[in-house]
Amino acid sequence: MTVLILTCEGDVTTDMVVTELHGRGVPLVRLDPADLPGRAVLSAEYAHGDFAGHLSVDGFLVSMSGLRSVWVRRPGRPAAHAPEPSRWLTAEVRQALFGMLYSASARWMNHPRDAEQARHKPWQLRVAHAGGFAVPPTVVTTVPRVARQFAQEYRDVVVKSAAGPPPDEPLMALPTTLIGPDADFSSVRAGPVLLQRYIPKKADIRLTCVGARLFAARKVCDPDQVDGRYDDSGRRWDPTGVPDRIAESVHAYTRRTGLAYAAFDFAEDADGVWWFLECNQGGQFGFVELDTGLPIAAAVADWLAQ
Amino acid sequence: MRPFTLRYTVPHEPEAVAVPYRFDASRQLNVLPDGRPAVADRAVLRATGTTASTAGSQTHFDD
Repeated sequence: MTVLILTCEGDVTTDMVVTELHGRGVPLVRLDPADLPGRAVLSAEYAHGDFAGHLSVDGFLVSMSGLRSVWVRRPGRPAAHAPEPSRWLTAEVRQALFGMLYSASARWMNHPRDAEQARHKPWQLRVAHAGGFAVPPTVVTTVPRVARQFAQEYRDVVVKSAAGPPPDEPLMALPTTLIGPDADFSSVRAGPVLLQRYIPKKADIRLTCVGARLFAARKVCDPDQVDGRYDDSGRRWDPTGVPDRIAESVHAYTRRTGLAYAAFDFAEDADGVWWFLECNQGGQFGFVELDTGLPIAAAVADWLAQ
Repeated sequence: MRPFTLRYTVPHEPEAVAVPYRFDASRQLNVLPDGRPAVADRAVLRATGTTASTAGSQTHFDD
């Protein structure tokens, strides 16, 4: 039985897992949907009430009957490397590839259906709250008055993007930014804004969930740091324990979302409370493992090889 | 009118870093010039930032 990994060539975080799978003698196929059609080949037959299909790339082949699990890591856009790429071709390849994979009975990390829903930050907040996490008060609105009132009530609030930086502006970043109640909110009507009460923190927490296994890392931060992703202090992550209450909430969250893999970000305040900030269904773990030695890649390999 | 959130964008030009490894299709992973897997050299991974939380966030939702 074979593990299928959908990712791009340069993804060395995947290499960490590939090395683990090699060590276990588990067959795998690493394929980038960007290489379909061309370097990668797909064929599926739906006839006589039966189904058969296979994928191959670089001499490696996986049949749908022998597909153990699928890891959706960092796949390229389907057909992106085709000689004549187009939106139509991308849509056709996506239909062929995922239609075939959905027809198999493999386990998914994560299923695209679950991943798509899990990317929605406002829904994350709702699920997190229901699961018992501490969640900072948040508003998402296109009404300037509502945004202004929220900022006046909580005084120190941060603005963050729900979808990430604008893809058509690749040289721009959009870090979570602290703003005050006196900001000009008139342009809120031009696009939904996500405002959240600022949590003064003494540390960032990154908790990686692989199946039922939890790996938490902690990094002390400067008092005025807002977005830990852009920390240039040189501090490293240290392994830390997971409080029982947090573990229960994490498992409630993954049960509700259907995620087999999830990377949670928390802000630890002065009282030691872990405030839920977000959960990335495809979050990086390489930097955590490098700093802490936590065996996350091995856990991913274990899950995929089950 | 530019949306409110976009007022807080900042220039961010990714540092051009030459990675000393290449993809080996026969082994399905990246290898160093001496043939070792790239992941065997943790110093290289740190220097290239390829496993960092912002490494693919523009395109891959994986920060």
